[in-house]
Amino acid sequence: MAHRKKNRNVGIIGIGQTKHSSHREDVNQPEMIHEAVSAALTDANLTMKDIDCIVHGNMELFEMVHQPDLWHTLGTGAYGKECIRITTGGTVGMTIACASDNLVASGLYDIVMAVGFEKLQEGHTTGGITNMADPLWFRNLQTGALTGSKAYELISEFGEERAKRASMMYRIIMDKHAGLNQYAHRSFGLEFEQLDDLIKSSPKLVGDLKLIEMCSQSDGACAVIFACEKKTKELSRHPVWIRDHITVHKEEVFQIFGYHKDYPVLQSHRFAADQLYKRNNIDKPLEYFDVFEMYDPASWWAVDWLRDFFQLRGDEHIMLVEEKEIMIDGKMPINPSGGVIGSNPIGATALIRVAEAALQIRGDAGKHQIPKPVKHALASGFGGTMWTVLMMLEKELNWQEADNGGILGNQR
Amino acid sequence: MAEYWGINVEDIFNSMKDRFRPEGATDVTASFGYDIREEGKWKVSVFHGTLAAVEKIDNLSGCVATMVTDGETFVGVNTGTVDATNAFMGGKVKVEGDMGAFGRTGRMFRKYVPPRKEMSTRDYLVDMFGTVESRFKKDAARDLDFIITIEVSGDAGGVWSVIIKNQSCTVVNDRVDNPTVTLEVADKDWVDLTLGKTDAQTLLAAGRGSVRGDIAIAMKWGEIFEKYVDPMGGGEPEQELLVLKKTISVGQKFSTGPIMGKFLNGLKAKKILANKCPKCGRMQLPAREICADCRVRVTDFVEVGPKGQVRYMEYVYYASPDPLTGETRETPYGMVNILLDGCTGNDTFAHLIRRDQIDLIKNGRDDTPGTRVRPVWNEKRVGSIFDIQHFEIDE
Amino acid sequence: MGKRVAICAVAQVKNVPAYRQMRFQNMLLECFESIMEQTKVTFDLDKGIRNIVTCSDDVFDARTISNNGVTDVVGAHFRGEEKMAQESINGLGYAMASILSGHDDVILFMGHCKESQTESRRMCTNLAFDPFYCRPLGMDFQNVDALQARAYMEKSKVTDEHLATIVVRSRKNASRDPFARENRLVDEKEVMNSPMLADPIRQLHYYPVTDWAYGMLLCCEERVKEFTANPVWITGYGSCMDSYFIGDKDLASNFSLKNAAQRTFARAGIRDPRKDIQLFELCDHAAYQLPLWAEGIGIADESKGGAWIDEGGPDSYNVNLSGGQLNGNPLLLGGAARAIECFLQLRGEAGKRQVKGAKRALAHGTYGAAGQHQAVVIMEI
Repeated sequence: MAHRKKNRNVGIIGIGQTKHSSHREDVNQPEMIHEAVSAALTDANLTMKDIDCIVHGNMELFEMVHQPDLWHTLGTGAYGKECIRITTGGTVGMTIACASDNLVASGLYDIVMAVGFEKLQEGHTTGGITNMADPLWFRNLQTGALTGSKAYELISEFGEERAKRASMMYRIIMDKHAGLNQYAHRSFGLEFEQLDDLIKSSPKLVGDLKLIEMCSQSDGACAVIFACEKKTKELSRHPVWIRDHITVHKEEVFQIFGYHKDYPVLQSHRFAADQLYKRNNIDKPLEYFDVFEMYDPASWWAVDWLRDFFQLRGDEHIMLVEEKEIMIDGKMPINPSGGVIGSNPIGATALIRVAEAALQIRGDAGKHQIPKPVKHALASGFGGTMWTVLMMLEKELNWQEADNGGILGNQR
Repeated sequence: MAEYWGINVEDIFNSMKDRFRPEGATDVTASFGYDIREEGKWKVSVFHGTLAAVEKIDNLSGCVATMVTDGETFVGVNTGTVDATNAFMGGKVKVEGDMGAFGRTGRMFRKYVPPRKEMSTRDYLVDMFGTVESRFKKDAARDLDFIITIEVSGDAGGVWSVIIKNQSCTVVNDRVDNPTVTLEVADKDWVDLTLGKTDAQTLLAAGRGSVRGDIAIAMKWGEIFEKYVDPMGGGEPEQELLVLKKTISVGQKFSTGPIMGKFLNGLKAKKILANKCPKCGRMQLPAREICADCRVRVTDFVEVGPKGQVRYMEYVYYASPDPLTGETRETPYGMVNILLDGCTGNDTFAHLIRRDQIDLIKNGRDDTPGTRVRPVWNEKRVGSIFDIQHFEIDE
Repeated sequence: MGKRVAICAVAQVKNVPAYRQMRFQNMLLECFESIMEQTKVTFDLDKGIRNIVTCSDDVFDARTISNNGVTDVVGAHFRGEEKMAQESINGLGYAMASILSGHDDVILFMGHCKESQTESRRMCTNLAFDPFYCRPLGMDFQNVDALQARAYMEKSKVTDEHLATIVVRSRKNASRDPFARENRLVDEKEVMNSPMLADPIRQLHYYPVTDWAYGMLLCCEERVKEFTANPVWITGYGSCMDSYFIGDKDLASNFSLKNAAQRTFARAGIRDPRKDIQLFELCDHAAYQLPLWAEGIGIADESKGGAWIDEGGPDSYNVNLSGGQLNGNPLLLGGAARAIECFLQLRGEAGKRQVKGAKRALAHGTYGAAGQHQAVVIMEI
C-alpha cells in the first residue's frame, strides 16, 4: 500500500527479452528492441493492437541518441499509440515498471508495455557513467561506477580473508546461475575449487574490486506487459501481481562513508526496505520472500546489500553467502537468472529483475526455476548515486489472506 | 603441430605480417611474448609503429607483456571461435606483465581468416554423403521405411546407400540388398544438384541420369534432409556486417552560478571554501546551493583546510578515458577523500594524490587519523578543480 | 475519469535568452522555494511529498542521467524521483496518473532546461535521428519542421503574410507576461524580411534559444484544501506517437495530434472543443504550427488554417495569450509553460492578459521533428 489504497490492481501478463550479448552487430537499436517486444507479445498472446501505451527507457548518452523513443518507434510499435519515456539512470528499468504500474492502476490505460534496452557496445560505458558527474568538478575525478570502497568496508569489518572469499563465493554462485539461463550474457563455468585462485589471479580494477567481480557490459532489451485486474484475469492463466514499489534517491555526492562511528550514514537501500516493509506489514523479509532478483553491479556490493535489503544484523548476510543459502536451491535464492554480473544491458537491466522475478512466480523460468513454490518475490533496481527502487510481486491477488504463516503472522 | 578447426598456431603467427595494421600501432615500440603450451614461444616486436619481427624463440625476455595460453584457445580467440573475454575471465588466457600495453595488440592485427582450400569433386562427394546423417530430419520421416542407392559415375564416383528406418538414417558407402529406388548420376552432376546449381528435372530431361524403382520416394529427398551447406561458402555471399563509427561532440558552456562560482573563485585565490548548512551545520565540498538533508538554501561560506587527513583512497588500476578529452589517465593513480581541517564527520573533499605516493597513503578510521596531506597549487589558476594539481603527503 | 487531480501551485523563473549567472540548480531552487512558500507542503513520509517528477534532457544538459544533478534542489534526497525524459506535458500527465493510481497523494513536478548551454540546438536535435540515414542527411527538428511547413502551407492556404501576423501577435501577447522572454515588438514587414532559416521558415518564425525552469505541486482531490483554496483540476490527458521516417507519413495530416486530442477529450468528457473549452495554449515551435495544431485539436476547420487566421481565429478562441512557445520556452518544456499559463488564467492571475469567464483550458505539448509525438492536457476550475 502506498499513500492510499491502490485504485485498481495491476498484473504482469507478458514477458520478453533478448539474448544478452556483447555482439549484436547483427541488429540496430530498434531491431533489437523489436525482438523483445515480439517475444513479450507472443508470451502474452497479444498483438500491438491490444497495447494502449508504451513506456520507453534507457540512458541516451550511452548511445548518443537524443529522445530515442522517436526513432525506436520502429521497434517498440508505438506508432499510433500513447507513448511516454521515463528515465532514471541504472534504475530506469525498474522505474518504467513502476510507471507502468501507476499508469494502469490510474485507470487511464488497461494495457501498458514497458520497454527497456541498451546497446552498450555502441558507446563507452564507463565514460558514459562518468558523464553523469557534475561537469564542474567530479567529472574530472571519478571513474564511472567503479569503486573499491565497498570492498574496503567489508574487509575492514570482517577481515580480509573472509570478506574476499564471500565476494568471490557470491561471484561463483552467480556464474553457476547464469549457466542455467539461456539469455544470460556471461557464464564462465567457474567452480568453487577456483575460489582462492580467482582471488589471486583476476586483475584488479579499483582497490580490491577485481575484473571478474564487476558486471559486464551487454547489448540487450526487455519488454514487460502490464494489465488491469480485469484484463489480467481474462488474458493470463498465471498472472503475477504488483503489490507495491518504492523509489529512494540520494543527493549527488559520491564520497559518503560513515567511517567514523559518531557519524553514521543513512543507507538508501536500508531506508527503502524499511519504508516498504513497514507499510506492507512485513517484519521478517528473509522469511516472507521466496526469491530476490537484485540489481547486483558487483559482487562486493551484492554481499553488503543483502544486509540492507533483508534488514539483517552483524554477519548474517555473509553467512547466507558462505553457506550457499543464496543458491537456487537455498533458503533465499538470489538472482537465479545470474543477475547483473551475468548480464547488464543497463536500460533493460532493472526491468529484467522484474521480468525474472515474475517468471519465477509463474514457474516459467525453465532451467533456472527455483525448485520450491514461489509466492512472494522481491526485485530491486540500482543507479545514480546510490539510488534504490524496490518492487514486490505476488502470486495471489489476495496476498493478505493467502499466506497465513507469513504476513498475518508477522502483523501480530 | 596440432590443428584446431583446421588451423594451427603457426598459421596465426606466419600471417601476422599480412594482417598488421599500422594505424593500430601508432607510437608503439615494444615486444610482446606468446607462450603457447606444448606449441612453443613467439616474440612479436613492433618498432615505431611498424612490425619489426615475428620470431619463434626460446627466451621471451624483454617483452613488455606475455600471453600464456594453450593452442586451442589461442587459435580460437584469433579466429573468433572462442570469446576472448570469456577465455580471459575464466582463466584460460593469462597475461603476464603490462596488461594495458598488451591490450593494444588487439588493434594491431586484422582478424585471421583461414585461407580457402579448393575442394575437388571427390571432396564434395565425401562431404555431401558424410553429412547426410546429420542433415536427416527425423520428424519429416515419420512412417517412412526405404533405401535409396545412388550410383555415382565418373572419376570421383562411387556407390552410396541411404537407409531410412524407424525414423533413423544410416549411410553406407556400398550397395545394399533390395533398394527401394536406385539413382544413376555423374559425379559433377550430383555435386551441382546438391549445391542447388541444377535440379533433377533438368538432369532427367537431358538424359543425364536415371531412376530405377519408386520415383516418388526419390522426390522426398528435399523434405527429409536439411539443405547441404557448402563449406566453401558458395551460393549467396554472406552480407558483411557494417558498423558505423562516430565520435560525437557538442560544445558546451557550463554556467557556474553564485555558489559553485564562489567555490571555484576561491580555488583561484588558493582558498578552499566550504558552505555551511545553517540548520545542521554540515560543510559542503564543493559548495552546493542547498543542504539536501535539511532542504534549506546554504549561503554561508567558511574557509577550510587547505591541509587535512585522508579518510579513504580509491586505488585505481583501471582508468576509463576522460570523457572530456578522450585521453586515458596513467595508472595506477589514487583518488583521495580528504577531511580538510575545519570539517567533521563525512564532510570530505575529493581530489587526486601525487602518483608516486599512492602506496604510502593510510585511510583514517573513527578517531584514528589518516595520512596528512596538503594541496599542490598550480602557478596559473583559472577557477577550476585542477587549480589544485593534486594533494601530497604533508611531511 | 472519476477522480480529479489538482494543481495547487505553480512557480517559474523568467524565460531568458541565457542565465549566465545561474546554473540550472539555482534556477530550480528559486521555483522549489516558491512552491514550499505557497503551499507549506512538507516532505513528511506519511503526509508530505514522497515522489517528485522532474523533466530534463541528457543531451541538452550534457549529462548522463540529467536528473542526478537536481536531486537536492528538488527535495528528492531520500525520496522518490522519476524523470520524464520527454515533453514536459507528459510529466504532468504521468504525475496525474501517479496520484490517480493511489500510489501518491502529493507530487512535486519540476523541470529545467538551458538551451543556451549548448553550442547548437540543431546539433542536439540532429542526434534524435538514426545514425545511418537521417542523421548524415543533416536532419534536425528545425529543417524537418520546414518540410512540414511547406506541406501544410500548401494544404491550408497559409501564406508568408499569415505567418508574419502570427509572429507579431505572439510577441505582443508575450509583452503582457512578466515571465515571458523579452522579445522586441516587430511588425509584419520586419518578419517578412527576416532571413530564411530553412525555407519557408524564417528566423522570426522560429522560437528563440531560451533558458527556463518551473515547478508545480499536484495533489489528490481529498487533500487539496491542505495546500490551496483555489485548485485547478486536471481532468484529461492523452498522447500519440506518429511514425518515424518522414516519408512514412503525411506531414500535414495531424495524425498524432488528432489522436491525442480525441483520447483526451473522451477522458475529460468533452464533446465539442469549440464550445466546451474557453482557452487554448498550443506548443508552436514555429509560426506555421499555430494554425496546424489548431486544426488538429479541432478549433480550425480542416485545411482552412489560412482562412482561420484571416478570420481572427486565434483571438476568438483565446489561443496562446502567453505568446506561445513561439515567443520562447526551451525545447521539451513548452508543454509545462502552456499548462502554467492555463493555470494562471483559470485562477484569474494572468494580469494584463487575463480573459474573463474561462472555466476550462487546453494545454498542448509536442516534440520530435514535425510534431512526431503529441500530447494534450485539459484543466478546469
